[in-house]
Amino acid sequence: MEERTRAYLRGRFGDHYRQASVTPPPAANEREWGFIPWTEGPGETMVRHRSLLDLGEIEDFLGRRKPRHVYFSAGRYDEPSASTMSDKGWRSSDLVFDLDADHLPSVVLGEDSYAEMLAKCKDALLRLLDFLEEDFGFDDLTVVFSGGRGYHVHVRDERIRHLERDARREIVDYVRGIGLEFDELVDEESVAGTAGRSSPAQKRTLSTEGGWSARAHRHMLAVVDDLLAMEEADALDRLQEYDGIGEGKATAALNAARSNYEQLEAGNIDVHPAFYQLAKILLHEVVAADNAPIDEPVTTDTNRLIRLPGSLHGGSGLEVQRIDREDIDAFDPLVDPVPETFRGHDITVEVTDGGLVELDGDSFTLEAGNQTVPEHVGVFLMARGRAEKGKE
Amino acid sequence: MEPLHARYPFLARSREAVEAAAVDLGEIVATDETVTARALERVESAITDGTVGEPHRRTRVELLSYPVARVLVSLVDVHICTRKYAQAEAEAAYDRFTEEFETTTELKSTQRETLDRTELLAEFDLASAVSDAGDGYRVEVGAYLDLAADQRGDSWRLVNRPLADGEVRVTAEELNVLLKQAIRHRVTDGLPFTVPDAIADELTEEVDRLEEVLSELELTREIDTVVPELFPPCMKSLLDQVQKGEHLEHHSRFAIATFLVGIGMTTDEIVDLFQVNPGFGEEATRYQVDHIRGDTSPTEYSTPACSTMQSYGDCVNMDDLCEAISHPMGYYEQKLDDTDEEELVDWREDEGDEEADA
Repeated sequence: MEERTRAYLRGRFGDHYRQASVTPPPAANEREWGFIPWTEGPGETMVRHRSLLDLGEIEDFLGRRKPRHVYFSAGRYDEPSASTMSDKGWRSSDLVFDLDADHLPSVVLGEDSYAEMLAKCKDALLRLLDFLEEDFGFDDLTVVFSGGRGYHVHVRDERIRHLERDARREIVDYVRGIGLEFDELVDEESVAGTAGRSSPAQKRTLSTEGGWSARAHRHMLAVVDDLLAMEEADALDRLQEYDGIGEGKATAALNAARSNYEQLEAGNIDVHPAFYQLAKILLHEVVAADNAPIDEPVTTDTNRLIRLPGSLHGGSGLEVQRIDREDIDAFDPLVDPVPETFRGHDITVEVTDGGLVELDGDSFTLEAGNQTVPEHVGVFLMARGRAEKGKE
Repeated sequence: MEPLHARYPFLARSREAVEAAAVDLGEIVATDETVTARALERVESAITDGTVGEPHRRTRVELLSYPVARVLVSLVDVHICTRKYAQAEAEAAYDRFTEEFETTTELKSTQRETLDRTELLAEFDLASAVSDAGDGYRVEVGAYLDLAADQRGDSWRLVNRPLADGEVRVTAEELNVLLKQAIRHRVTDGLPFTVPDAIADELTEEVDRLEEVLSELELTREIDTVVPELFPPCMKSLLDQVQKGEHLEHHSRFAIATFLVGIGMTTDEIVDLFQVNPGFGEEATRYQVDHIRGDTSPTEYSTPACSTMQSYGDCVNMDDLCEAISHPMGYYEQKLDDTDEEELVDWREDEGDEEADA
């Protein structure tokens, strides 16, 4: 990045911060703060181990220092500005989740557009929120667009803030479906002889109460409903697409599902050996379909620094934006986070790495060379290193 | 000081009883050898066999030996000692309270005061986090993770639990195990602390004794640990083949045998292990293992290095750690170092020792 580009971006970030209102996180003075200034050279050096006392009032600090990136710690400390973690005196940490398009298995890097990646990321976000709200029962969630390629969720529930790394890893494994064991999800109980001749001595059930077993149960019922709605021949074909299910087993499983539907609804999967085998296969499907592929280290690291909501992302010029829970569905990551400051006027940039840019509801195919573009597009390109500021 | 205090010395009310009796620890360690001896026994048994030994018949001695044992653990100030001690105290309390939970309902009117579940939950601030669910309990997920995160076994993993609206279902037996963990945390809390010189000076003999016990322990542990899950992939694969009764080439048989000898298995144990394989006649195996060990030959053979394993085609399923080491034994040592010592279940102890884990 050329000096003139850096100076321009720094100046415009400053203009933005002088008008913007930034709400700090709760207990801001117990947290460590860090920022990356607009410095020369390819390496970015983070200034960290600062307390709010060192920085001053946050909005004032942002307007004065015009940093490229700003972070605060998930952790709360006795001495947030101490230079080592052991001297800081850890008290507790927010539970933070990071969904990054780069880490999503469904994203094809180099093929999916920025917009497609972000759309897949939002799907994952909704799955994550389902876990956090339904399974974990958290009601104090802060959802944030990261300003780059994904979303952050901050949980500040008092009952989990004290959790240490190992316990947080259990939460990661839960939302990612790691370590899920079919045999552990299934409850086995001995059934008395009166249950009928054909009934097995063991009755295996999926708990419908909650957790992955309830998810597996819902998925299984949905598949069964689909099968029962099909023509018999189609249903049998469909069943035989599963590994290890031949015509005989398909027929047996389908018949068992039809004649024991109420049992299945109640969670009993032991209606027939062939059906039991099918249920096992379906469980693996549910993990792939329902899990939220969060970035593990962010959640397990109790000292992690996280981007400050309300600040600008120095690699895109987009706002790191809090999203109200009810606005998530409608949220458009390529429109809503475009800062007002950069809207409504054009600037000239020298494009070095052209191509498609979709932003603020418009799309631009840019070629290398001098181009006049809306400022938010110019800022986006310069921040990403795809353009330099045009010479005046 | 009541018998209940002595049975559960970590309870707040037990500590209060000690405080109310205005006992001066400095004086105790200087004058009361019975208490100091019992305190030493608590810690020494914890290190050597994971128990706190037999309780002293006098309530006062038994109760006071607990704070003195904590002083000893603090003076020794070695991580493994603190951990084993807390574990042993928790096990002892667990045995007692599970028994008392079962008898409380029927024998309520008996002479001795017992501890019930409600009181124990309240002791650890779990009263609001745990609720009765009829055929078991619901535990708030934060409290559950505190107490279950380092339990062994897939069934404790949160992912395998019905979790709904922030609560985890557990059985009564599982709740007891969680309470045991809460006790372990309580005992560990604040250890080690700073001990005034006046008290430390009275306990030098006891501390020397514990250090001696610990050093013996480290010598034996260094190599004598058999945890197949931590074996390098090559040895896992060979062992697997042995146990499936598949025929192994000589070099493969040699590799697995030297490895097992190297980690401290006796010839008898290896013969037992190999017996399922028809390819291993007992005498031949015994001879080969003794030979490797150096008993019947002038040389003590050691496990082949990775390069040798590779050239014989015995190097399979390489993982990340394999990239970083050059010898199967190095892999195993690294894995042992990386694993919490309590997590290690020695193969030879695992059989018939299931109830310890219930």
